[in-house]
Amino acid sequence: MSTHTTEPALSRPARDGAGSLPRNAEPVRPGPRGDGSTRRRRRRFQPAWLFMAPSLIILGVFVLFPILQTLYYSFFDWTIGASTQTFLGFGNYIKLFQDPQFWNALGVTLVFTAFAVALQITLGFGSALMLLKDNLITRIVRSVYFFPTIVSFVTIGLVWKFLLDPSIGLVGGLTQLLGLQPVAWLTSTSLALPSVIFVAVWRSVGFAMILFVAALKAVPAERYEAGRLDGANNRQLTLHITIPSVRPTLLFATMILTIQSLQVFDLVYVMTDGGPVFRTDSLVNLIYRDGFVNYQTGYASAVSWVLFALIMLLSLLQLRLFRYNDVD
Amino acid sequence: MSTETGVRVRRPGAMTALAASSKWILLVIGLVFAIVPFIWMVSGSFRSESDLFGNPASLFPTSITLHGYLGVWEQLPFLRLLGNTFLFAGVTTAATLLFDSLCAYALARLKFRGRNLAFILVIATLMVPFQVTLIPVFIELFHFGWLNTYQGLIVPRATSAFGIFLFRQFFISIPTELDEAARIDGAGHFRIYWRIILPLAKPAIATVAILNFMNLWNDLLWPLVVTSDPNMLTLPAGLTLFGGQHVTDHAVLLAGATISLIPIAVAFFFAQKYFVAGVATTGLK
Amino acid sequence: MKIRRSLVVAAGVAASMLALTACSGTSGATGGKVDLTVWTGFTGGDRPGYDTIVKDFNASHPNIHVTMNVQPWDTIAQKLPSAWLTGQGPDIAAPSSDPNAIAQYVKTNSVLALTNTGSGDTKINTDKLAPGTVKEFTYDGKLYAVPANFATLSLYYNKKAFAAAGIAGAPTTVAELQADAKKLTINGGQTQYGLSLADNQTIQMWPILQWLEGGDIVDAKGCSVVQTSAGQKSLSTWSDLVVQDKISPVGQTGAQADSLFSAGKAAMEINGPWAAPGYKSAGIDLGIAKVPVGVDGSSVTLGSTAPLAVSAKTKHPQEAQEFLAYWTSKTAQEKFSLQTGFPPLRTDLADDAKLKADPTVSIFTSQVPDSRLYLPHVTNATQVDANAYVPLIGQITRGTSVASATADAAKTIDSLTGCSK
Repeated sequence: MSTHTTEPALSRPARDGAGSLPRNAEPVRPGPRGDGSTRRRRRRFQPAWLFMAPSLIILGVFVLFPILQTLYYSFFDWTIGASTQTFLGFGNYIKLFQDPQFWNALGVTLVFTAFAVALQITLGFGSALMLLKDNLITRIVRSVYFFPTIVSFVTIGLVWKFLLDPSIGLVGGLTQLLGLQPVAWLTSTSLALPSVIFVAVWRSVGFAMILFVAALKAVPAERYEAGRLDGANNRQLTLHITIPSVRPTLLFATMILTIQSLQVFDLVYVMTDGGPVFRTDSLVNLIYRDGFVNYQTGYASAVSWVLFALIMLLSLLQLRLFRYNDVD
Repeated sequence: MSTETGVRVRRPGAMTALAASSKWILLVIGLVFAIVPFIWMVSGSFRSESDLFGNPASLFPTSITLHGYLGVWEQLPFLRLLGNTFLFAGVTTAATLLFDSLCAYALARLKFRGRNLAFILVIATLMVPFQVTLIPVFIELFHFGWLNTYQGLIVPRATSAFGIFLFRQFFISIPTELDEAARIDGAGHFRIYWRIILPLAKPAIATVAILNFMNLWNDLLWPLVVTSDPNMLTLPAGLTLFGGQHVTDHAVLLAGATISLIPIAVAFFFAQKYFVAGVATTGLK
Repeated sequence: MKIRRSLVVAAGVAASMLALTACSGTSGATGGKVDLTVWTGFTGGDRPGYDTIVKDFNASHPNIHVTMNVQPWDTIAQKLPSAWLTGQGPDIAAPSSDPNAIAQYVKTNSVLALTNTGSGDTKINTDKLAPGTVKEFTYDGKLYAVPANFATLSLYYNKKAFAAAGIAGAPTTVAELQADAKKLTINGGQTQYGLSLADNQTIQMWPILQWLEGGDIVDAKGCSVVQTSAGQKSLSTWSDLVVQDKISPVGQTGAQADSLFSAGKAAMEINGPWAAPGYKSAGIDLGIAKVPVGVDGSSVTLGSTAPLAVSAKTKHPQEAQEFLAYWTSKTAQEKFSLQTGFPPLRTDLADDAKLKADPTVSIFTSQVPDSRLYLPHVTNATQVDANAYVPLIGQITRGTSVASATADAAKTIDSLTGCSK
């Protein structure tokens, strides 16, 4: 249950340095009250750190330092409560690369992320295109589509788990009405992961849509005029003008959704607990199981650092992929 | 409002009737998928076990029972938990608005050595799931003596990397002319931040406020880690005290889920014009 | 000036936060008394029973005050090792719903060796506790926990379904059980399944099926026996019934198996006492019977328990053990059983008149002497369950050959338990 990943609603990612002041030092001339200290001394003190202090201190103490501690744990066969810890060097890392459960979880996580993000982006973009106008109906529809995003993963997992239960679920009930046999979605080895992906997409399509609505509205009309003057049809307009214009938003949405999907846990834990037979076992689910059920804190820490490196790598890759094509 | 752009063609009637109706069919299907689970959840909280098992195809209860809600009411110090949740989510959100925007101002407006590193460190905190840092944080809280206290609940969450990121994006897009003008008048950084940037950032403030509030509201692992006293839990955390491996009463679980959803649904309803109408307002290019 | 201002603002926020420290959660401070805290994860329908035990103890022991904090099992598993490490954890805790979890805490010296044993109400009557539990919680000759509860699994059956199929009463032998399951499977399971089986996220039922057929999972040394001919037969008999005769859906979680039975779509389910109220409120015409006897004619079922242990760092070891003694005493257990429908965790309440009078409790109680624990005292039992046994059942019920699946499982089990052949 991560509270660090929350979904933003702004459209554009960072552009470095734009809009900053050319001078970064405090003004050397005295303030209106003629404060002597600013006039005499050449200040080297950087106010930026004071602005950032509360946030950096809190993040440093309660997030960054614990992250480093888990790195430390990962080099030991760390057991909470033990009087001495066995040093393993890279032992945990070697072990994890030989662990079939790790590779399975890695595969599940990557497949989940690839499909979920791709579907969230395409469906979000498509629905944004269809709901661009600002009238009452589109506003209602947009609100409804966005609503699942604010509901916690635990609640969503619980409700969908019941919905897909062949005995009490609505899905099962409706298929029975049609005379068919209700499908056991979450216990079928072939359907469990697609079902979880479906729920993840269901939840976050609205979020992607909102981002794209904002971005699409910001595209200046002149571009379309120009395109039309060149004789482009609708499809060509979409392909060559619309999509490139919202590339920064595409990057942002993709990055955030990727980071979120790679860390999927609550959904999997509540709906299937990694089953059946590990078909939906995500990396964080593996970390949780090894850390808290099997009490192998060191090993779980090693897996989480591998996951962290993976997320960092994919994020940097995406930045690369999208940035240099930015025609803005 | 922003101008009408997009792929809407100027020639009327160019979009064929078929395309238009298939577009609406798709949207309606999407609507059904989006709404029905919630309707089922709320109606399920009013249904008895025999109703649920006997009529799985039915979306609505065949007879209303309140035992789900009564069960929640009886077994939890309900109002106390509700108060805790508002306190936790409210105060913490207020703190994040202040700290996040301060930090973002520095990252957006001030050039200093180590700025990129600071930003990367902030973003990196988004890449680690909480389960991983849970144990070290718990031990830290113990050393501070903050277990089972409100400050232990609030302070570690009083800033959010997401909020910093979002404010930074927003601030970058605010033109610098206003800053320049203020600087010529002798204003220092803090006054620029307080008097100029923040008032312009109202949409971002609203967005961060609402999203952070909702996330804090929904967070059930954090309160369970910090406190073991059931009276200090937040409502969603308290609702995890129902149910285990074997579910014997769906109505109670669904009632709990519905109850914890209502406040943020209400907040969403009032605030939705800030996102849904397209967050983009001044300077989001 | 600007620095001063930001400092003022920051100080303001800090001050308001510090003001909140005045509202920190208060502990039940009672002058002169010994205060004990207990952490358990009992959130289900049996929770009021435990609250009663605590209340009665407090009432009868004026110098001790016990506070029980109920949290989800997951949370306890996440916090307890650290909490006990820091010395600020609870005095007493049920570390997990899995009895084998106590091994970890023994290994890290986090739990107290219990010495307050013997006869009488102020001591823990170890000779009267449910079979296997004392052995389960004894390491190196020392007892480290008492059972917090004890549940047996019995056979629930749908009387209406039985009548419709023309079966007079519940099966009494395993052969009858299998025949009835086949007969009660209507339309290949589409209309009704004979027996609702769960193999994951559940209190395990498959070990019972194996025991009834004369097989087992591990031997006394912790070495795997699923791959022996007896082990394979005990598994294939049932997997054939599932795969070919479709007596049960495949891969159900405990909750799904319960739902299936509650919906009237399965005629039988092997389950514990916690399920009875749910089934009744779902409107099932419910019958409960002892698990049928196995191929060797003897009665057997699964016993499920959770450990209740004392922190090694507690400041009140004597009082804590008094509480454990009270928890497992005759009076407390009789009351608990009557209130929750669980059998008592003692063997000397089998002839208790009040318990016998309650039809649900009496069935579960009668099974206590014949109950066996799942993977008792097996090293790394939780991993054996998650990595070997659950996948094994998952595979053989989906068509994998029993021979190859058990061979794989045996390798995994032996590597986890450290079995040396």
